[in-house]
Amino acid sequence: MEELIEILEELQPDVDYETVDDLVDGRYLDSLTILSLISEIEDAFDVEIPTVEIIPANFNSAAKMWELITRLQEED
Amino acid sequence: MSFFNPVFAFAFIPFVVIIYNLFPKKLRAGVLLAISLLFFAFVSKWLIIYLLLSIISVYVTGISISKLEEKKKEALKTVEKEEKKSVKASYKRKEKFVLVLCIIFNVTFLFFFKYLNFFAVNANLLMDYFKIGHRITIVKHVAPIGISFYTLEALSYVLDIYYGKIEADKNILRVALYLAFFPQVLEGPIARYSDTAKSLYEGNKVTFESFNYGYQRILYGFAKKLIIADRLNIIVKSVFEDFNSYNGFTVFIGVAAYMIMLYMEFSGTIDIVIGIGEMFGVKVPENFRQPFFAKNVSDFWTRWHISLGLWFKDYIFYPVSLSKSMKNLTGKAKKKLGNHYGPLVSGSVALLAVWLLNGLWHGAGWHYIFFGLYHFFMILMGNIFDPSVAKVCEKLHIDRHKKGYRIFQSVKMTFWVFIGELFFRAPSLTVAFAMLRRMFDTFSFRVGELFTLGMDRKDYVVLMIGLVGIFIMGIVHEKGINVREEISKKKLVTRWAILYAFILVILIFGAYGQGYVPVDPIYADF
Repeated sequence: MEELIEILEELQPDVDYETVDDLVDGRYLDSLTILSLISEIEDAFDVEIPTVEIIPANFNSAAKMWELITRLQEED
Repeated sequence: MSFFNPVFAFAFIPFVVIIYNLFPKKLRAGVLLAISLLFFAFVSKWLIIYLLLSIISVYVTGISISKLEEKKKEALKTVEKEEKKSVKASYKRKEKFVLVLCIIFNVTFLFFFKYLNFFAVNANLLMDYFKIGHRITIVKHVAPIGISFYTLEALSYVLDIYYGKIEADKNILRVALYLAFFPQVLEGPIARYSDTAKSLYEGNKVTFESFNYGYQRILYGFAKKLIIADRLNIIVKSVFEDFNSYNGFTVFIGVAAYMIMLYMEFSGTIDIVIGIGEMFGVKVPENFRQPFFAKNVSDFWTRWHISLGLWFKDYIFYPVSLSKSMKNLTGKAKKKLGNHYGPLVSGSVALLAVWLLNGLWHGAGWHYIFFGLYHFFMILMGNIFDPSVAKVCEKLHIDRHKKGYRIFQSVKMTFWVFIGELFFRAPSLTVAFAMLRRMFDTFSFRVGELFTLGMDRKDYVVLMIGLVGIFIMGIVHEKGINVREEISKKKLVTRWAILYAFILVILIFGAYGQGYVPVDPIYADF
């Protein structure tokens, strides 16, 4: 989780990733930042995020992203 | 038919409500479907056949994909672990084949009605250029109303089933209602099955409360159209039809008037669609969110025609930018260009695809394609220069979150969007560039010229009051306050009094009668 927050902070600073739970709906992360984020997550956690998983519900908070990562790791 | 026709608002809707309420709950969805199909047939006559074909095609495709999924699950139970991957891949190929057939089937109709002539005209030009003695005959076809909207909605239904986001509906009448729901079928919003379907089938009774609540939204739409858009239409028509007679300032006002008119007309229509939905308890997604408060062009498109932007994002942008080859490209580019510019390489390829299609979706013409490419360029530039702008602001101690800077951003964004819409409205690229030149070459503040456009002082006063009213409502909405929620807390008498007062304001200040030309439904033609 710490590594994920580090990635997020590098891509988009000035956001409190511990508390914000509308990263996509609140437009903290735009489409291009999400592209960078996906690429970073895939490299760092050795998972492949399918297009179907790219929905706001999975990216609205660091916790939700972490849930997605662990689920994809388990499915692998 | 325009939603702003008094017959539609004051006779058709109450008639539909009465008929709908007369039936028991479980039959009401059927009543809505029958009314929706009759409405479509009334507007587009025999062309309803194409809507029905679309409905049948997505229904059959959905069921086929769902059956293949079931077969896959059965097959996976009987095979060894090492074979599972190839079984999954084999079924995915079959599902993809069915999906692609359905997409081709639906897009062919769209191409035939909207783009065939455009391609034929350009092919003829090319053949003339290369002195090939052959010509394609141009035949004008009248398209079924709303084909661009319901086709995207139909495709989203099968794509969502293919991606496993939703289950295929086993009842074709339900699929038909989702695609043909009468307020939505003409100009959207392009709703997803997961957004509206459930509430569409519930058959909620229209109560005094829901009728009043929905009608408030409908009247807000009417106010935008009759008080503002139909007045601005006078300026727009004068300037765009004879721009050489006016100085640059007036041409700019004409261009700005067009953009605001488009917003009032289209968002007003969506207000009516959402209002009708609210009467029946149907959740229709919002399509606008104070677009002129956006901080840049990219942000603007997350607030303007939201359902179209989301469609392109979900079904074009992400699938293209996250395809295997693009991911490899992102990986390589990131190493050389870093975290910001690396993903921008594949992102811009996907953005180009999105904006080419977005331009074409709006119409078959080079100026629409240019309109798309213009926005692609503006968004790309915004992304390229954003880190530099951030550094400059930091050095100059400018807080980018402060109100003053946000207003500056919105004004700058609005100017760029106005220019984009000039290409959208102008009849051709040549005229658009000529208008742009005139705007800058002959610019001078000759305000008096505005009174030669066909609007008198009274019209301008009403227009300005209307615009200020909408602007204040925009600020209130931006702050997250729902005005109608506040009104709904008042007593019934107060609520009805507000409703009647609103009707009175529209009747007194609406721009109808001699000297006014109502705006035609702009987006229904797309």
